[in-house]
Amino acid sequence: MTSHDRFLGREERHLTVIPPVDDAAVTRDRALIDRLWNIDITRKVTILLALGLIWELGVLSSNVSDQVMPTASATLAAFGEGLASGAIQTAAWNSIKTLLSGYGIGLAVSSVFVSIAVAWRFGTDMLTTLSAMLNPLPAIALLPLAMIWFGLGKGAIIFTLLHSIVWPVSLYAMTGIRGISPTLKMMGRNYGLRGPRFILLILLPAAFPTIISGLRIAWAFAWRTLMAAELVFGGQVSGGGFAGAEAGNSGGLGWYIFRSQMENQTASVFAGLLAIIVIGIFVENVLLRGVERLTVERWGMTRSGS
Amino acid sequence: MNVERPEYVVERIERPTDIDISIKRSALAQFLDREITRKAAVLLLVAITWELYVRIGDVNALLFPGFLETCAALWELILSGEIFRKAYYSFRILAFGYPIGILLAAALIVLASSTRIGRDFLGLITSIFQPLPAIALLPLATIWFGFGTSSLVFVTVHSIVWAVALSTVAGFAAVGRTMVMVGENYGVTGIKLIRLVLVPAALPSILTGLRIAWAFAWRTLIGAEVIFGAVSGEGGLGGMVFENSDWLRTDAVFATLVVIILIGLAVENLVFINIEKMTVRKWQA
Repeated sequence: MTSHDRFLGREERHLTVIPPVDDAAVTRDRALIDRLWNIDITRKVTILLALGLIWELGVLSSNVSDQVMPTASATLAAFGEGLASGAIQTAAWNSIKTLLSGYGIGLAVSSVFVSIAVAWRFGTDMLTTLSAMLNPLPAIALLPLAMIWFGLGKGAIIFTLLHSIVWPVSLYAMTGIRGISPTLKMMGRNYGLRGPRFILLILLPAAFPTIISGLRIAWAFAWRTLMAAELVFGGQVSGGGFAGAEAGNSGGLGWYIFRSQMENQTASVFAGLLAIIVIGIFVENVLLRGVERLTVERWGMTRSGS
Repeated sequence: MNVERPEYVVERIERPTDIDISIKRSALAQFLDREITRKAAVLLLVAITWELYVRIGDVNALLFPGFLETCAALWELILSGEIFRKAYYSFRILAFGYPIGILLAAALIVLASSTRIGRDFLGLITSIFQPLPAIALLPLATIWFGFGTSSLVFVTVHSIVWAVALSTVAGFAAVGRTMVMVGENYGVTGIKLIRLVLVPAALPSILTGLRIAWAFAWRTLIGAEVIFGAVSGEGGLGGMVFENSDWLRTDAVFATLVVIILIGLAVENLVFINIEKMTVRKWQA
């Protein structure tokens, strides 16, 4: 008796190798339609087509005037027509141009604010109090004031946009910076970083996930504010009869919708809405997602695909 | 082999009594260090700078009223009760729109969590409508419902449904598989599963959705009222902003803005924080 046997105290056991399973026996052929249905995109396209069909048939059968509710095909036709004549592109480009100048200035202003706040404790108090106070104020409520100060023009819209960008971005950036672990900050100090280099190399990357949420919220608010502002200008034209407001407004998508509504071209209203949706999806899913992928995801700060 | 070592006795050191390590700070320094003092100081500073800017800079009060003038205008609006009437008008629309939006979102979510096609449907429709500013629907709403409360309710509902649906579905998707299986083990299915397992587990993100929905709805409502103010001259707080600025009663405009800010702060810091305290924080989720 070897010591090994004494230890186990039981009989030797041999494992029998189980032969591999025949693949054909367990796999099941599924009908082509079944397999197609399992692809996400097929189902979504089907739903989209079904919705379009319901819309089309619903409008056709209910006999409502096309000034109240155009059919899906009429909307697409109006969209195509708007694209062909270039009216939609011009309107979209005008909106985007205004938004970009507002967004750019807004980011510059809030980065100055945040830098001051980071360097100086009273600055921190100042920025957190002001942004907490002014963030809940809908930017559009400032538009009437802006129109008094800057006239019916681009200046008024950009001022309003600034308000909808600066506070959320500053608020989120401050929250992100406060959440940075002291170890990271001390490491930066250890490397002898201070001032702008400290902000740029340590604070900004570490707070970037939160800053991106701020950028997202700011974009959403700014886009909504811009549309509302263009509609208010439209209202001014029809209500107060301000001549030249179209030029001042430079004819963005909101104005396109408003004008189409005034001219009772409801199909064009829908086409304008479609253009707004397309731009919104592009900015959120391509631009902002792209920034996220290039920064925080590449740096391994968040899970991808969440 | 044993190693013999001398006994090791720990000598207790008495707590020193004759050294005071606390730093003496003046009452003023302690007072200044409190957060509330610092914030109040900031507000005071802003008010003083504002007033001084208007007084010294000799700014036209029609364009930019001072702090005191704004306060006076606010007091007048409170005395005449106008501000309460307008705030009530705005709140009534929210009181209609918010529950309708939540009910619609709930119906969509029940549909989405019971069937796969429902989930696809909700995913598709939210990704279409979420990027569409509700305010852009206002021209359509005026075609359908005219200039009135129904149009305002319509755009408010639109700004609520998608935000709530999106974050609720995301919250449901993040609920652990184990948690759902525990529920199923108890024989809980369908709507009961949603109510008893998914909703409590996903409540943090549902609350986030409700918060975002409130933020969008409030902005949309004020925006819509400003536009209606421009077109037809009626409405709540937003309409009041527009009307007063049209008459160059800038101090009343400022006063209304202050009220809008106060309402926004109150809802965010009193309503939502308390709901959170009563639910999520109590459950330690």
